Amino acid sequence: MRKFFKNIILFSILLFVAEKGVYYFLNQAPKNEYDKRLENIVNNDMDYELIILGSSRGANNVVACQLENQTGLKSYNLSYKGSNVIFHDFILETYLKFNKNPQIILLFLDHKFTFVEESTLTFRYDRLFPLSKYDYINDVLIEKKKKNVLSKFFALSRVNRADFNMKKRSSRLNNTITRCGSILNLKPNHKELVYNSEKTEYAQNLEEADRLNSFLNIQEQCKKNNIELIFVFSPNYHTFNTSFYERFKSLVQPENLIVVYDTLNLNYKKREYYFDSSHLLKNGAEMFTSELSDFLEKTNNY
Amino acid sequence: MYFNSLDFAVFLPVVFILYWFVTHKDLKLQNLLLVIASYVFYGWWDWRFLSLIIFSSLVDYTIGIQLSKQEKLSKRKFLLWTSILVNLGFLGFFKYYNFFAENFVEAFSFFGNKIQPNTLDIILPVGISFYTFQTLSYTIDVYKRKLEPTKDIVSFLAFVSFFPQLVAGPIERATNLLPQFYKKREFHYSQAVDGCRQILWGFFKKVVIADSCAQYANQIFNHSDDYSGSTLFMGALFFTFQIYGDFSGYSDIAIGTSRLFGFNLKQNFAFPYFSRDIAEFWRRWHMSLSTWFRDYLYIPLGGSRGGTWMKIRNTFIIFIVSGFWHGANWTFIIWGGLNALYFLPLLLANRNRNHLDVVAENKMLPSLSALFNIGVTFGLTVIAWVFFRAESVSHAISYLKGLFSSSLFSLPSVRPTNVLVLLVFFMLIEWVGRRQQYALEVLFVKRSRVLKWTFYMFVIALIFVFSNETQQEFIYFQF
Repeated sequence: MRKFFKNIILFSILLFVAEKGVYYFLNQAPKNEYDKRLENIVNNDMDYELIILGSSRGANNVVACQLENQTGLKSYNLSYKGSNVIFHDFILETYLKFNKNPQIILLFLDHKFTFVEESTLTFRYDRLFPLSKYDYINDVLIEKKKKNVLSKFFALSRVNRADFNMKKRSSRLNNTITRCGSILNLKPNHKELVYNSEKTEYAQNLEEADRLNSFLNIQEQCKKNNIELIFVFSPNYHTFNTSFYERFKSLVQPENLIVVYDTLNLNYKKREYYFDSSHLLKNGAEMFTSELSDFLEKTNNY
Repeated sequence: MYFNSLDFAVFLPVVFILYWFVTHKDLKLQNLLLVIASYVFYGWWDWRFLSLIIFSSLVDYTIGIQLSKQEKLSKRKFLLWTSILVNLGFLGFFKYYNFFAENFVEAFSFFGNKIQPNTLDIILPVGISFYTFQTLSYTIDVYKRKLEPTKDIVSFLAFVSFFPQLVAGPIERATNLLPQFYKKREFHYSQAVDGCRQILWGFFKKVVIADSCAQYANQIFNHSDDYSGSTLFMGALFFTFQIYGDFSGYSDIAIGTSRLFGFNLKQNFAFPYFSRDIAEFWRRWHMSLSTWFRDYLYIPLGGSRGGTWMKIRNTFIIFIVSGFWHGANWTFIIWGGLNALYFLPLLLANRNRNHLDVVAENKMLPSLSALFNIGVTFGLTVIAWVFFRAESVSHAISYLKGLFSSSLFSLPSVRPTNVLVLLVFFMLIEWVGRRQQYALEVLFVKRSRVLKWTFYMFVIALIFVFSNETQQEFIYFQF
């Protein structure tokens, strides 16, 4: 028995020492990533007066640098394609934890998909996995049950299979992150697009508690940190869903503002400004950014 | 509690220490510890179903004692049937009630009578198929006077609920396992180290092989209409390795864990994918179930002693019942039937016991004919697994139609190089270790400690890395 325990302990110690070599891959993983925005947040490399949160609508439909030029507010876009409101809540919480508070937050909404299950809108774990070397990120992954507690002590539990791929990630034209964080659709999509004027009823019964909680938490965080929160409905190539809008308003605290794109602006019904039914091309994003700048100037809150 | 959970990583050392350091002087106390540990292990999943195991154990314990007192055949038969009805009654209710209710309704609808199915929302207790068969074997053996009934209730409870093999086997016979509870267990260094090595290999099979393959098998099976024949072939191939890695991995962990406590369980898998015909495959796949059906169903039905028709009937019965044992779905029944069809030509030609040895026993590589036979047998099992994995019979048929289309010879759209490389690595190790109980049994054992430990660390590293992303439940828990 003694020999068994002696060997087990010796083997465990050697394993514990040898596995630390994996930290090389863990440290290398963030360097190979193309999108470094989340790492910059965790490293306290963000100092902005206005930040934009959202999914691809937020990433594609607003030009943060233009907003900065027009309003004079130092702006940055932290919208992630395919992310849901729970992820936006996480980004905000992380930003506030490591960086100076911004004055204004623009939260781009996914219209009727904001609170309901939608397979294309998820918590973007893929953005967190390459940053597992950071304890904060690892703790979030443990909390979300994507890593186990052992990852606090073992590099082998922390590392991801993709971390062993030492190839640097690159980006395609429509996924290029601009200096201010926006990801603009530079190349049109030539697929046929028909304006949808059908009015649909919003199904409140499909709403998910987690998403609603995150939405309320975003408002709480902004209130607590004295940040002006503005909700943004960006243009769509279909009729504005007033049914969802009514529901949405009932969840918004009175101090927060809502911007809805100018539904009477006929340009928003022109195909030439759209990449697809929910995402603008660069020219459309510039047009909508001007509208947003005007709104911010009118509210005169900065 | 799952073997691949942190809970088990804490549970096992705690029980091990209590077993060898606190209770080791008193056999009864040691057995009692195993009973308690086993109930904790099982109750971790759902404590309510503990009552089922306890009830089933008490019924068979009592019937065993009554059988020893009873000489009259009619009364002995009555006791045996009581045990069979109680055990199969539970199994039938929890596992098959909805299946029969739905099929009953469908049969009526076929004749024009519309009735509402009266299905129930039943949770299938984990491992019920395994411990039911284990406890049944005890009563049958006592009835047949092959075994003296035990009067030691703690040993009997420990035998039924022994945690390493409680939820997914191997299905132990009372003749093998029960006497091990009567004897004082000694700690042997070599046995414990061997147990650790087998646990390690079991985890590798489960976490690295099965779970990696599961990702792709699920993707392809769940969207089978969208894929070409060649990709569907990849899906079936991935499932073939998934089910082997998953189930034989569980068995390895179970057997290895038992060895840590001084117990020896039966081998459950003997490198079945190197079989040269289907008969050999079934002697090497889920051996504890195959032999159970052989001893308690096939032989009582007459086995191969009768005429040709009897042989055919009995073969179909055991394969179909074996399929049905896996789950209440027609897919499993057809899977069993298909294997019976594969088996039939060998049986009729009296060639079902041709390959009793290990392939290429004294050679490094198989002969060309052996390789060809292995390939054909493997191909047949891959096809049969499609029925096992498919959601329904129609899904399996459409899957196979898609597989055997002209696109079978196109480049598959799903071909993860890393998983394919792993499978080659895995099969190489399995081939090298095919003469042993499990592949790692002798690999590097006689080499220097540096080489041996480096290899084990490499395997552990793979297990850790793969477990970070792909962890899945054991498939056989659902049976």
